[in-house]
Amino acid sequence: MTARFRSRGRRLMAAAALLAPLLLETGCAMRSVRAYEREHLANRIMTFEADAREAARRTKALDAREGSTGGNGGAGGGCACN
Amino acid sequence: MQLRQVLIMTALATGTSLMTAPRIDAAAGVDTQAFECLMQLFSDSDHVGVRSAITDYTVTLAEGSTLNLHWNNERVSVPAIAAAPGTQEAIDAITTASRPIAGNAYQDFTKLRNEFQGEMTRGSARFSYYNSQETDYVGQQIAAGYNRDFSDAQLNLSVGSSFGWDAIDPVADDDTFGGSATKTTLHANAVATRVISPTLLVRMGAELNLVSGLQHNPYRNVYAGGSRLPENHPDHRVRRDLFLKVNQYLLNRSSLKFNYRFYNDDWGITSHEIGTRLSQVITRAVFAGYEYRYYTQGEAYFYRDEYPTVNGIDGYMSGDYRMADLASHLFGFTFDVDLREWATETPVLGRTELRFNIERYFNSNNYSANILTTRAIYHF
Repeated sequence: MTARFRSRGRRLMAAAALLAPLLLETGCAMRSVRAYEREHLANRIMTFEADAREAARRTKALDAREGSTGGNGGAGGGCACN
Repeated sequence: MQLRQVLIMTALATGTSLMTAPRIDAAAGVDTQAFECLMQLFSDSDHVGVRSAITDYTVTLAEGSTLNLHWNNERVSVPAIAAAPGTQEAIDAITTASRPIAGNAYQDFTKLRNEFQGEMTRGSARFSYYNSQETDYVGQQIAAGYNRDFSDAQLNLSVGSSFGWDAIDPVADDDTFGGSATKTTLHANAVATRVISPTLLVRMGAELNLVSGLQHNPYRNVYAGGSRLPENHPDHRVRRDLFLKVNQYLLNRSSLKFNYRFYNDDWGITSHEIGTRLSQVITRAVFAGYEYRYYTQGEAYFYRDEYPTVNGIDGYMSGDYRMADLASHLFGFTFDVDLREWATETPVLGRTELRFNIERYFNSNNYSANILTTRAIYHF
């Protein structure tokens, strides 16, 4: 069991290592998006923050119905739905 | 019936925010404030009902600090055992019930949960304290986070951590032998958000949770080796996940969001979640959103449909379907009305936003649920 978990962990880390540079890449290929070009990004239908509270509430509700958790960058306690 | 309840709750939520407005508005030394009331009704195919009344008050203080106070009053109702007393069906239902069976199992069991949270954001840092109170469960958590922009604000990196400690004190139960117990959760996360183009945002994150202590339902029994024994899960669990979110702005004032999450833990559960959401600006004041989520997971190494011996698997046994193979679907529809755009001259409506949300959830365990949410936000 532990070996399987470790093996999956290694694959997880490998995937993260592959994806992270794509995201963090700040150099030549991608041009800088200037402040005046960010009108659409600031729209409420685009921002991540607009959905954050809703996502946290849903995570808590689904925690009580499914075996996994996460996806929002946070955690909460309590177990009324159990 | 449910629609009627939602309408009543919406009226209450709006009314409460309006009644409170003058007092809060009188507070001195503040720039902006928002008062939010949310009512959520949850009902599922097992006839479990959860009513959540949530209030959030956010105020911007001097020097770029923001304070958020959150209160959630939740009433959970677990139905009475439906089978006729003395039948095998009733015995099975009582044995495996995830509720205390004290005295009369043929009566509904209702309990209240109150959740409080205070969060202070100052510049790039945030701190919070969380407290959840129930008859048989007290959960507390402290959390902190920090984020910073890089590369001319093309990239934002954030890190966060929290520590939660829970006290579990099961109420009297004729059917199990649960004593007091504790649980702690140490959480850490790292999240990167990248502006890819004027219409494309990407977020990627990793999370780790180390959980120790009681992690099974103290009221539930499991049939093992011909006997009924208390459910028993391991005391330690390492949970981790990676997630990716992509937001693309489309023509016609709409956006398409995609998210994927990979999760695994040392109990053997591996899961994948894929979700998508289409949001549409209909007018300046009206928004609509359509959502679909698919989720699948494998089973925990100690989960079995039947346990042939009283030892279970390595001493562990579970009657919790969340430990089993599972797939689920969720469909959602959201409708937002920002009255501030329509009624700019009206003192009350000109400061109010309303949101309605309905979700339908069902999974491969013949389980389904409806979640109705109404939200009113008053901006000072």
